[in-house]
Amino acid sequence: MIKVGIPRALLYYQYYPMWKTFFEEMGAEVVVSPPTTQTMVSEGSSRVVADTCLPVKVFCGHVLSLVEKCDYIFIPAVRSVKRRVYNCSKFLGLPDMTKAVIPESPPILDIDIDVNQGKRKLYHNIYKLGRHFTWNPFKVRQAAIAAWQSFLIYQRLMSCHRLTPPQAIAKMTGEIEPKAPSLTQTTIALIGHPYLLYDEHINHRLIHRLEQADNKILTPETLTKEELQSAIARLVGRAYWTYEDEIVGAGGHYLQSGADGVIGLMTFGCGPDSLMMDIVRRASKLGTTPFMSLTLEEHTSEAGVTTRLEAFLDMIHRRKRRQVKVCA
Amino acid sequence: MRIGMPHMGNLYIPFKALFQRLGVDFVIPPVNNQHTLSLGVKYSPEGLCIPFKLTLGNLIEAAELGADTLLVPGGSGICRLGYYVTIQEQILRDLGYNGEIISVGFSQHKLSGLLKTIKHLSNNAPWPKIISAFRFGLAKLNAMDRIERIVQKVRPVEEVKGTANQLFTKAINAIDKANDYAPLKKVQVDYINQLNQVTKDDIQPLIVGVVGEFYVLLEPFSNLDVESELGKLGVEVRRTTFISEWTKFTLFLNPLGVNEKKRIHKAALPYLKRDIGGDGWESVGEKVLHAKEYDGLIHLAPFTCMPEIVAQNIMPSTKEDIPVLTILCDEQIAKPGLSTRLEAFVDLLERKRRAHNN
Repeated sequence: MIKVGIPRALLYYQYYPMWKTFFEEMGAEVVVSPPTTQTMVSEGSSRVVADTCLPVKVFCGHVLSLVEKCDYIFIPAVRSVKRRVYNCSKFLGLPDMTKAVIPESPPILDIDIDVNQGKRKLYHNIYKLGRHFTWNPFKVRQAAIAAWQSFLIYQRLMSCHRLTPPQAIAKMTGEIEPKAPSLTQTTIALIGHPYLLYDEHINHRLIHRLEQADNKILTPETLTKEELQSAIARLVGRAYWTYEDEIVGAGGHYLQSGADGVIGLMTFGCGPDSLMMDIVRRASKLGTTPFMSLTLEEHTSEAGVTTRLEAFLDMIHRRKRRQVKVCA
Repeated sequence: MRIGMPHMGNLYIPFKALFQRLGVDFVIPPVNNQHTLSLGVKYSPEGLCIPFKLTLGNLIEAAELGADTLLVPGGSGICRLGYYVTIQEQILRDLGYNGEIISVGFSQHKLSGLLKTIKHLSNNAPWPKIISAFRFGLAKLNAMDRIERIVQKVRPVEEVKGTANQLFTKAINAIDKANDYAPLKKVQVDYINQLNQVTKDDIQPLIVGVVGEFYVLLEPFSNLDVESELGKLGVEVRRTTFISEWTKFTLFLNPLGVNEKKRIHKAALPYLKRDIGGDGWESVGEKVLHAKEYDGLIHLAPFTCMPEIVAQNIMPSTKEDIPVLTILCDEQIAKPGLSTRLEAFVDLLERKRRAHNN
C-alpha cells in the first residue's frame, strides 16, 4: 500500500480531515508526523536560511521526521481559496522550497490550488494529483467529493459544536472524546493562525495554561463566516489575505463582544501578520477590551511567555472585580 | 491641488515633468535620507519591510510640505505591497493628515488605470495633452536609464574613482532641467559622450549581477548604493531591472502578449514551478539563466520579504552554480558592515577567476 506522509504543520490544522479522506479513498495509507518537538524545530531550522519564519522551520522539521517513513509527502501550494484573495508567498513556494532544502525527502505530491484560474483548472489539478494513484477519473472524482464532505463536517464540528481543530480531528478519527468545557468566569479570545494556536510546542502550551487558570478560551474557528466577514468589512473593507479571517475578523469581533481580553499570537518575521496584527492593535485602542500581542520565535523562552500571560490575566481579573463593585 | 508621492530612485523626475506639463502643483519630498527613514520607522509597525517604512517617511514629509493629494503605490499581488495603502492611510490619518489618498495600482488596469488617475489629478485635462505629457515623462525616464547603463559600465574601469558618479549626478540634474525633447536629446548625447571619454584602465572587470526585490534594487538609499560600492571595487554591475524597461513591458507590451520575463521564468522552472509573488521567481530564474556570464550574484532583499526568503532558500540548490551574496536591507544596515562583506565577496570571485584561468 502506498504511504502518503502529511506533516503536522501549517495547513494541516485547516485541511487534514479532507486530505486524509482523499488519500484513503484513493487507497493510500496516511502517515502523519508526530507532534512538534524541540529536535524537530532545531533540525528544521538548520536546513533553511535564518530569516525564514518559525512555522516554516517547524514544517521542515516535520518533513524530516517523515523521511523514510512514507513513499510520498503531500505538500500543496495553496495560492488562493477565494477570488482575488491571496496567500503568503511561503505557502506557494512550499513544495519547491522543501525540495530544495531537504533533497533526501521522498517525492513530493504537490497541487496548485488557485480559484482565480477557474473551476476547470482546479478540477484538472485535482485529477493530476489523483493520477499518482489511479488512472480512473471517476475514482478521483468520488474521492474528491468524499474529501469535500469530510471538510464540511470538520468545519461544522468547529463552528457549531465549538470544538478546536485538534478536538475536531480527534472526534472525526475517533481517538478521544473532547472534554466538556468547565464553567468559568473569564473569557479569553486567542487570535492567530491555527498552526500557532494548536501547536503546543511552539506556543508553550498556551491554551493549556489559560485553561488551568480557569479561563474559557475562544478561538477564531468557533466563529461563523458571517461574524468574521462583518468584522473584516468594518476594519479593512475587503479581505486581501487568505487567512485574514483568523486575525482581523476574529480580532475585530472579539474586541467588540464576547471576550474579556484578546491575545494575538504571531511569529517573528511573518509578513501578513505584521500588517494584520497592527490593524487589530489599532482597533483595540478604540475600544475597552484589553489586547496583548505575543510574538513567537524559536528563541522565545517559556518564562517570558508565562510572565506576560500572568500579568495580562491579573489585569483582566482586577478589571472584572472593579466592574462588579461598581455595579453593586 | 498639491500632489505628493514617495520616492523610488530618480522616478520623481519623469513625474515632475509630467505634472509640470499639465500645470499641476507637484511637491517633491526631500530625497531619502536618515530623517525620512527615522520618520518611517517611528510610525510603521515594526515587522514591516523597508520599502513600506521609506515610502511612509516620504509621504509624511510630502504632507508636511503641504501636499493634499498623496499617491500611494498599491495594486494586488501576493506580497504585502497590495496592503500598503490600507495601513499607510490609517497611519497618516492618525497623524492628522486629512487630504486625499489615491492608490496607484499597477497590476490590474495598467496603462488605462494610470492614465485615468492622471486625468483625475490634472483636473480633467484634455486627453491629447495628457498623452503628450505622459510621453515626455517617459522620454526623460528612458534618457536617465540609458545613461545609467553606461555609468554601470564606466564605474569599474574609470581611472579616477567617482568620475562616473559625478557625471551621473550632473546628467540627472540636466535631464531634470530639460524642458523639451530637443534639449533632452542634447543632454543625453552630451553625457553619453562625456562618459565614453572618461579615461579608463585597461582591465577586464569581474561581472556581478544584481537581482532581487524591485524597490531595494532601484532605491540606492535603501541598499547603501551597493552598485557604486561594487564599482569602486572594480566590479561591473549588470542589472536587468530598470524602471524604463518595466514601464515599457508592464504598461505597453505585456497587454499585447509580449512577456520579457518568460525566458527567466522558464529558466527557474526546474527549481520553482510557480510565481510566488514579488520578484522571487525572477531572482531564482536570473541565477540559473546568467550563471555562465556572471562571476557572481548579489541578491538584494528587504528584511522579512516573503518571496525573497523563498528564493534565498531555493538558490543554493540549483545546478548552475555561481557564488551568491544575499544582502538584507533594513534600517539596521550599515556601510562598514556592507563594505566588508562586499570586499570579501569580490576577493572570493577574483580568486575563483584566477584559479579558473590557470
